[in-house]
Amino acid sequence: MVVVRIFAGMNSRKLEGRKLRVAVVGGGPAGGSAAETLAKGGIETFLFERKLDNAKPCGGAIPLCMVGEFDLPQDIIDRKVTKMKMISPSNVAVDVGRTLNENEYIGMVRREVLDSYMRDRAASFGAQVINGLYLRMEAPKDEDSPYVLHYTRYDGKSKVGTPSKLEVDAIVGADGANSRVAKDIDAGDYDYAIAFQERIKIPDEKMAYYENLAEMYVGADVSPDFYGWVFPKCDHVAVGTGTVIDKPAIKKYQTATRNRAKDKIEGGKIIRVEAHPIPEHPRPRRVKDRVALVGDAAGYVTKCSGEGIYFAAKSGRMCAEAIVEGSAFGQRMINEADLRTYLRKWDNKYWPTYKVLDILQKLFYRSNPAREAFVEMCADEYVQKMTFDSYLYKTVVPGNPLDDLKLAVNTIGSLVRAYALRNESLKATA
Amino acid sequence: MATLFQSAASPLLHRSSSSCCSWLSASGGGHLKLKGEDAVRRHGRLVVKAEDERNGSAAGEVVAKPRKASPLQRGGTLSGEEAEGKDPSPAALLANKKPLMSLGGGMFEDARWKNGTWDIQQFTNSGRVDWDAVIDAARRKWLEENPEASSNSDPVVFDTSTVPWWAWVKRFHLPEAEILNGRAAMIGYFAAYLIDSATGVGLVDQTNSFFGKLLLFIAVTGVLLIRKNEDANNLKTLASEWTFYDKQWQATWKNEEQHPVSEKEIKL
Repeated sequence: MVVVRIFAGMNSRKLEGRKLRVAVVGGGPAGGSAAETLAKGGIETFLFERKLDNAKPCGGAIPLCMVGEFDLPQDIIDRKVTKMKMISPSNVAVDVGRTLNENEYIGMVRREVLDSYMRDRAASFGAQVINGLYLRMEAPKDEDSPYVLHYTRYDGKSKVGTPSKLEVDAIVGADGANSRVAKDIDAGDYDYAIAFQERIKIPDEKMAYYENLAEMYVGADVSPDFYGWVFPKCDHVAVGTGTVIDKPAIKKYQTATRNRAKDKIEGGKIIRVEAHPIPEHPRPRRVKDRVALVGDAAGYVTKCSGEGIYFAAKSGRMCAEAIVEGSAFGQRMINEADLRTYLRKWDNKYWPTYKVLDILQKLFYRSNPAREAFVEMCADEYVQKMTFDSYLYKTVVPGNPLDDLKLAVNTIGSLVRAYALRNESLKATA
Repeated sequence: MATLFQSAASPLLHRSSSSCCSWLSASGGGHLKLKGEDAVRRHGRLVVKAEDERNGSAAGEVVAKPRKASPLQRGGTLSGEEAEGKDPSPAALLANKKPLMSLGGGMFEDARWKNGTWDIQQFTNSGRVDWDAVIDAARRKWLEENPEASSNSDPVVFDTSTVPWWAWVKRFHLPEAEILNGRAAMIGYFAAYLIDSATGVGLVDQTNSFFGKLLLFIAVTGVLLIRKNEDANNLKTLASEWTFYDKQWQATWKNEEQHPVSEKEIKL
C-alpha cells in the first residue's frame, strides 16, 4: 500500500473549471498503460494511435510479473514458454528452465491482441482513443498555456485523413523507436540494434517441438553482438537475429541463423518478413517542459535480452502516476519537476537491472569463447534460478553469498578454459 | 557534371539496395539500370533523370528530395573488420574477404567424437589420459569456419570442465607464469642494481623500506596487467566501456543541471 503526500510547488496553479488535459501519443503497451493510469486518476486523456490494427514486429515475450501487475487475462497469452534452449557456437545445447515451478512461464503474445486490449481498457476508464497520426506540436508560450498538437485524423473509411489539432497541457510520447515526439523535443538520438525476423510456418510435427520451448542461438556467425532466436508464436515460429554494429550484413546473419536451426525448421514456409529497431540506451533527454517520453521512445530496452514490452508498460504507468500525483488528480497544472520525479523513480528502481544486463552483454557476447562459456554457465542450476527469478519478477535478487562466490569462480573458470581453447587452436594454425 | 550526378546517384543506389530488401514484406524494391552516363531509376516515388554530358548544361535533374538514410545506414554502425565484433572469430574476419561464409558445408567428423562429446577412452594410452590431445582436438575451430546446424537427434554435450583443472594449469598457466616471473625477475634485478649504484642502498635495505615495497607491488601488478603493448590500450578501452552505459543513462540529468527546475517534494 503506497501513501502519497503531495506538497504542491509554488509555481503550479489550480485549474479553473476543468481537469488537466494530457495527450498520449502512441497506442502500444506504453501508451495504453499510461492512458489507463491517467484516466483512472481523473485526468482528461487523449490516446493517439495511427493504426488500430497494427501488428507490430516484435519478439512478443512478456515476463510473468507483467500478467499480475497489469491484470492481463489469460486468453491474451498465446503460449506459455517454460523451457529455453541455449545453443553455443559449437552447438552445445543447454536446457534452461528446470528450476521453474508449474505456475511460472514466459508469456508469448501477439502484439495486436495485447495492444488493443490495453487501449480498450484505457477507453473503458474514460480515455478518448483517437485514430490519428501525430504530426507535430507547438510549444506553449508560457507555463500555463497549452501545447497545440497537430495530427491527421482518420475516420476509418478513407485512407486520407483530415488535419486537426488539439490543445493539451502535457504530452506523453509513447510512439516507439522512431518517435516523432522525441524529435520535436530534441531528445537526441540513441544507438539501436536492428532486429530482423522471419515468421515461418513449419509442419505440425516440428511445431510440436516448439510447443513451449524457445531457442537462443549465439555465435559470431549468427550475430557479432546479439543472438539469434526461434520463438514460438500462435501457430508458427519466428526466426530472427539482430545486430548493432553490422546492420548492413543482417541478411547474412539471418541466413546463418536459419542454417543453424535448419533441422528443426525444415519444410517451413516463410509467411512474413519484418524488421524493427531496438534502442540500446535511453535518449540523452527524456523530459522537456511538460513532455515526457516513455517506452521505446525513451529507449528503455534492456541489453543482453532486448526486452522492452514490460518496461514500456511500466514506464507508461510510472509517468502517468507522476502526472496524477503532481496535478493532484487533475486539479493543478504540472511542470517539468513532476515529470522528473517519474525519471528519478524509474532510474532508481530499474538502473541495477539495466546495468547487470549491460555487464552480461559486454562480458558474454564479446567473442565465441565468451559465448561458449556463457552457455556452459547456463547449465548450472543456480544460474538458471537466478536468471529466471530476475527475469520473471524483475528484481535483482541477491542470492546466497557462498553460492555467488562459487558462481564467480565457475564463471572465471569457464571463461579461462574457453579462451585457452581458442588461443590454442589459433596457435596451431599460426 | 556527369561526375556530380554519379556521386549524387551512388548514395541513392546504395540506399535502394539495402532499404528495399529488409523493410518491405512483399517484394517491392527498385529496378536499377545504369548505362554509361544515363541512369533512369524508378523506385516508388523517386525518379532521377540525367542527360548526357554532351548536352552540356544541367546534366542532372533530380526530381525528388534526397531520401533520409535507411535505418541500416544510420546509428552505431561500424564497418570493415570492426563490424565483426569486439573479439571476432578468425572465420568472421575471413568472411570479409571471401564472398560467402561456407555454410553447412559438411558435418564435423572425427573418429574420437562420439555422442556429442569427445570419447575420453580414445585419448588414453597405457592407462593415462592425454588431456593435451583433448585440448588440441580442434572441433570448435573447424566449426567456426563451417557452422553446423544444431540437431536434436545428435545433441552436443561437451563441457570444458571434463578436462581436469590441473591439465589446464599445466598447459596454460604454468608456461605463462614462467614467462611473467622471468620478466619480473629481470626487471627487478636491473632495477635493484641501478638503485644500488645510484643511492648505495643494498637489496636487503631496499626490500625493507616502504617505498621499495610499494615499487615492488606496482611492478608485479604492472607485469600481470600489461603483458603485451596492446594491453595498455585494451585496459583504457575497458575502463571507458565500463562507464559508458552509465553516462548514457545520466545524460538526461546533465540537462537538468544546466536548466534546473523547481523541486517538488514527493514522499512515497
